[in-house]
Amino acid sequence: MIEIKHLSKSFGENQVLHQIDAAFEEGKTNLIIGQSGSGKTVLMKCVVGLFEPTEGDVLYSGRSFTQASFNEKRNIRKEIGMVFQGGALFDSMTVEENVAFPLRMFTKESRSEVMDRADLCLKRVNLPKAHKLFPSEISGGMKKRVAIARAIALNPKYLFFDEPNSGLDPRTSILIDNLIQEITQEYQTVTVINTHDMNSVMEIGDKIFYIHKGHKHWQGDRVGIWESPNKELTDFVFATRLMRDIRSKNFKL
Amino acid sequence: MNYLENFGQYCLLMFRAFRQPGRNRFFREQLVREIDSLGVGSVGIIAIISLFMGAVIAIQMAANIESPLIPMYTVGYATRESVILEFSSTVIALILAGKVGSNIASEIGTMRVSEQIDALEIMGVNSAGYLILPKITAALLIIPILTLMSMFLGVWGGFFACTLTGLLDSPTYIQGITLDFRPYHLVYSLIKSLVFAFIITSVASFRGYYVRGGSREVGQTSTRAVVNASISILLWNLILTRLLLL
Ligand SMILES: Nc1ncnc2c1ncn2[C@@H]1O[C@H](COP(=O)(O)OP(=O)(O)O)[C@@H](O)[C@H]1O
Ligand SMILES: [Mg+2]
Repeated sequence: MIEIKHLSKSFGENQVLHQIDAAFEEGKTNLIIGQSGSGKTVLMKCVVGLFEPTEGDVLYSGRSFTQASFNEKRNIRKEIGMVFQGGALFDSMTVEENVAFPLRMFTKESRSEVMDRADLCLKRVNLPKAHKLFPSEISGGMKKRVAIARAIALNPKYLFFDEPNSGLDPRTSILIDNLIQEITQEYQTVTVINTHDMNSVMEIGDKIFYIHKGHKHWQGDRVGIWESPNKELTDFVFATRLMRDIRSKNFKL
Repeated sequence: MNYLENFGQYCLLMFRAFRQPGRNRFFREQLVREIDSLGVGSVGIIAIISLFMGAVIAIQMAANIESPLIPMYTVGYATRESVILEFSSTVIALILAGKVGSNIASEIGTMRVSEQIDALEIMGVNSAGYLILPKITAALLIIPILTLMSMFLGVWGGFFACTLTGLLDSPTYIQGITLDFRPYHLVYSLIKSLVFAFIITSVASFRGYYVRGGSREVGQTSTRAVVNASISILLWNLILTRLLLL
């Protein structure tokens, strides 16, 4: 479980996050939703320690991250896997080397063991034949898969995805969403996903947190989201004609 | 104020880069790659520039000796001294600041804006050590060698220019370049080239590492890296010359 306590973040004068509280559970897909610029990425980067929160704390299974010593932080980080918005694959390395990188960096395994594990991870994300290609040679959806394979290479307990569907077509989006959900249940990870995609919310949102202008406005599940009285949330959810139609026809989940 | 802040940030980054970078199995691999791109990638341009530079210096010397009291072998002597003392270390450093500096700044800058540096950090890798240390080490190893090569070619550029155009015969030139050779001048020049190598790679890495934004900013930052590195080189050239030669 990851708990966020009164987390605030400012860049100079500009306060981006205001007193966020949240708890993310094991084996569940926890979605942070909100418009572009609402602070989702900043929140995620504060949680994983890429940004220093101005105020507040993050607890990883009870262990405080902001108070942790250098070595404790390192240990927690080894339990974290993150998939960045653009994939953030190392472009000087092949697909296979990208996935093998954390293994070679942090395990004492031999080269062949490492490559076996990389191969396994790539098969898990349904990429059996791209091993020798470079990131510039593969499609956006494949990049996301490689990034996922790299994130799960060290068997993380905590998985973070920043906009896993951005730039993907709807079908590929659904495949990626399902993959994330399967991995979450299979490995019982605490999975946190930033998204502004209502399809993902409906597909895989176990627990949903709505962020607006750096404030947490609402949390609940995907049934509750239809009935929420929060104006900002309904504006966000029913921004598309499709969603409004679904509502007016009393579409049942 | 801004300068001080920048300088402080630069020092902190260098401190992080030189701190024991965890278990970095990759250091040797990275180092070989950097030596290859820095060394092998720059040999051609440095050879051409050095040959032409030496040639022009020698012709200018020859053209300016009018008094019959000055022996013609002075051309060789003066070419050797200019090349060793100043041109090979400083000019080569400025050329490399443009070539290598912009390359490093845009490579690291691209890794920053595409979140590759974040990806390293999240894995618990000391990204500064991983990315910057091999580049600085490679430059410290390679740039002095390139400088020596440049000196050699510069002197021979002068030789060919003089002998092929009939300004001077070859024994006279060779008499000049062997006259009163002071190894300390070579040492002085190599010390300069080490300092310049550090400046080029560290300043460019610093600029790239802290870029924010997108590809536009990466482009701007690589230009800024070249300017910053060039000015630092000129400044340190002055400082080191005052310290080491007087
Ligand atoms: N490194 C930074 N320095 C200053 N401001 C930042 C930084 N990163 C993000 N911001 C600001 O934080 C706000 C939220 O950004 P972000 O979290 O990226 O939004 P999103 O919800 O689309 O992911 C934006 O207004 C952005 O300008
Ligand atoms: Mg974002």
